[in-house]
Amino acid sequence: MSTKTPVKRRRRKQFNLFVKGEYFDFPMLFIVIFLVCFGLIMIYSSSSYRANLNLGDPAYYLKRQGMWAIIGFIGMFIVSTVHYKVYMKFTIFFYVLAIFLQIIVLILPNSSHGAKRWIVLGPIQFQPSEFSKVALILFLAHILTLTVRQVRTIKGLIKVGIFALPLFGLVGVENLSTSLVILGITILMLFVTSPKYLPFIAMILAGVVLGGIVLLSAGYRMERIEIWLDPENHTKGLQTMQSLYAIGSGGIFGKGLGQSMQKMGFIPESHNDMIFSIVCEELGLFGAICIITMFVMLLWRIMYIANNAPDLYSALICVGVMAQVGIQVFINIAVVTNTIPPTGIPLPFISYGGTSLVFLMGEMGMVLGISRHIRIRK
Amino acid sequence: MSYKKTYHKRKIIIVGTMLILVASILCIRLGFLMIKKSTYYQKLALDLHQRERSIKAERGVIYDRNGVVLAGNKAVCTISVIHSQIKEPEQVIKVLQEELGLEESYVRKRVEKVSAREKIKSNVEKEIADTIRAYKLDGVMIDEDYKRYYPYESLASKVLGFTGSDNQGIIGLEVKYDSYLSGSPGKILTLTDARGVEVPNAAETRQEPVAGNHLITSIDVNIQKYVEQAATKAMKSHSAKQVSIIIMNPQNGEIYAMVNVPEFNLNEPYTLIDSLKSQENGNNTQELLNQMWRNSSVNDTYEPGSTFKIITAAAGLEENVVKVTDTFSCPGFRIVEDRKIRCHKTVGHGQETFQQGIMNSCNPVFMDVGARVGKEAMYKNYKKLGLFEKTGIDVPGEAKSIMHKLDNIGAVELATMSFGQSFQITPLELLRAVSAVINGGTLITPHFGIEVQNKEGQLVETLSYPTKENAIRKETSELMKELLESVVSEGSGQNAKIEGFRIGGKTATSEKLPRRSGKYISSFLGFAPANDPKVIGLIMIDEPVGTYYGGTIAAPVMKEIFENILPYLGIQQEYIAVQEETTS
Repeated sequence: MSTKTPVKRRRRKQFNLFVKGEYFDFPMLFIVIFLVCFGLIMIYSSSSYRANLNLGDPAYYLKRQGMWAIIGFIGMFIVSTVHYKVYMKFTIFFYVLAIFLQIIVLILPNSSHGAKRWIVLGPIQFQPSEFSKVALILFLAHILTLTVRQVRTIKGLIKVGIFALPLFGLVGVENLSTSLVILGITILMLFVTSPKYLPFIAMILAGVVLGGIVLLSAGYRMERIEIWLDPENHTKGLQTMQSLYAIGSGGIFGKGLGQSMQKMGFIPESHNDMIFSIVCEELGLFGAICIITMFVMLLWRIMYIANNAPDLYSALICVGVMAQVGIQVFINIAVVTNTIPPTGIPLPFISYGGTSLVFLMGEMGMVLGISRHIRIRK
Repeated sequence: MSYKKTYHKRKIIIVGTMLILVASILCIRLGFLMIKKSTYYQKLALDLHQRERSIKAERGVIYDRNGVVLAGNKAVCTISVIHSQIKEPEQVIKVLQEELGLEESYVRKRVEKVSAREKIKSNVEKEIADTIRAYKLDGVMIDEDYKRYYPYESLASKVLGFTGSDNQGIIGLEVKYDSYLSGSPGKILTLTDARGVEVPNAAETRQEPVAGNHLITSIDVNIQKYVEQAATKAMKSHSAKQVSIIIMNPQNGEIYAMVNVPEFNLNEPYTLIDSLKSQENGNNTQELLNQMWRNSSVNDTYEPGSTFKIITAAAGLEENVVKVTDTFSCPGFRIVEDRKIRCHKTVGHGQETFQQGIMNSCNPVFMDVGARVGKEAMYKNYKKLGLFEKTGIDVPGEAKSIMHKLDNIGAVELATMSFGQSFQITPLELLRAVSAVINGGTLITPHFGIEVQNKEGQLVETLSYPTKENAIRKETSELMKELLESVVSEGSGQNAKIEGFRIGGKTATSEKLPRRSGKYISSFLGFAPANDPKVIGLIMIDEPVGTYYGGTIAAPVMKEIFENILPYLGIQQEYIAVQEETTS
């Protein structure tokens, strides 16, 4: 608490992004810059052929994503200068706003890809579920900090868990996969806060059983299981197979950047959720593992910041962000490699999508902001 | 504000470890997909990305025996449009419509269709294609191609046959030798995107086509042309339905000419000839086309009539049941069982020797000879002369003879068979059997194909055909040649006599079934020189109007043909000296 006032004042006066003598996690910044730039390269590589064909401009997607990346970087640096305790004041507001936006998106008639996931404001499409994730992380961090003693019991865990339910439910109506990400974030944040282990193991088991029931209950979900188990012979397994063709034909060193064949319309919207398969095809196993390693290093940096964060609140924010990035990356790669049944989750930083990128970078800004409060012991 | 406890740190590390664990699992999964299954998916992906475009192989040429091209190739073009490359669709539509003479709507539909490649017209003359090329229109593709071309148009049309749009033979030699002529098409393997459009600058794998081999046939263009003229003339002067003539080398079965007039234009095989056009009623076009393409010499059977007496005579001599000097009597008919079977000369030939019987073509003589030979021995000789089998000629669709079952042959059947009635064989089967009778007893295989050469003119394969020796005895053969020579020199075939040449032959007039329809086939079978036959010919005039006796209308045609082709084939006049002696 004692460091709060001088830090703020000093920054206001000089308005420097990086203050001398203050810790700032440059490795993490570097990783984020690398991933975003790599993402732009891959978006250009994977979309230029089709963009040129369909829209007459090979750089169509690159330009748009590039614009969002710039906005994201600016946003990230601005957020990183905000003291994390300021977020506390907005916790309830964000949470209510998120719920409100999720309700709005369900009411609005706009739909894209057959699902109501977007709010369209003129030229800007906004995906409220991306905002919901941030709101949830901040909300849970706040609540858990306040109820850190209560979550020692199962009762307390359930109580806190219930707070996350409305958002989980609202997102889940139209977007089951994102709601699973939200569920994952919630569980991991609870896990870190609570000293217990057993309830979480029970929870995972219950989750597996429950998940199984949910999957088997609805016909279209069952179909996904069938696709997953045997994509080659399933009539709707084509997209999964296309992804596997891309990955498999990459080999160890890949075909070389820009040499993908699968991006030429075989994988529809290859710059979106399936972009990792193009990465595999062009850069091979080597490139794919490099990218996974970059994500692991990013998670490691966030973990480092979380462990050295000044207090539980800031640590929990970091945990939430780490959970979100980790879960999304791994679900995405697992889907692309047909390790789990197909579901639509974008690959953080790399998949095309403005809302996702801007909010993710905002979250990176939050974590980088928290890194400023690390005191290095000499 | 609460501070972190140690367990928080521990749990954060656990979460981090869990995530890294998941990452490692995914890396292993990727390794499995990208190393172990890599080749498998690469192959599947290549199947998906590669499109095959075939390149037509140049079809082999069909030559006559002297190297004259009977069926060749002509450069033509295929015009197609590539939708994505068209910049001025209206201009493209206008040019193509005008230059190719197509309907505007037809062209428009294809130009505006969103497809990888749309064919507008194939078999476009090269000059027209060059004109279109000169417009330099974007998105218009002109592919050079070959089209089968027959320089003599209708010459030997039913023998040569023609090819379809995919360069495959449809009828005739074009079908029979398709595997030699067609070559193997090459292919270009290109990478395409999901719509099937070729990816620019992608490496393409090219496999060159292998041109087809050339076929050298036994046909002689000059003989074929001359025979066709003679046949056409005969068809016109007798208002016949059809005239078929086969000219063959009886020693080895090489066919010099096979004419079935009316012939059709091989360059337009789907255009009906005038005589058939009138019968077209909208539904029977294919039927009429089949009729037009039909090679009657090979594909149809008929009752040979008196020319078949050669076989009966040979069988009689072969079985030693008759001698040349044996005498017979002809009262103009023979009663066989309950039937009275007439001779063509109703008043009868009276007393005559076997030789005279042949010269007179006397039915009762042959009924007697047939009865003496008996049905078993008769069929044994038929079999030796190949009358129960196809000749094995190298054109498709050969018909099979229609014979009585041996058990069903009674005296009446045997009698009628003896003068060539109550069964059917193809003209070619008769020609083959008679060839064996006059060439010393060798049953040959009539054929056209002699050898196959590659594109460079080097020999690839000499085509060989089975022959069977000793179908009849040499002595029988010698005797038969003499007997048949006397038919022409003094008997019913005198109209085929050419001064200075020794010609053998036999006439025939067969009434078509049903009897009493007034429809006849007049035929004449001749060969020369009679002592050492180098050429044998069979002419059949189908349904002549007016005079229908083979000796009267068919024999003169063969005479005319022989007069021209014997010197051409290098057969010298033999008995000028003898002639001069007798006249002086």
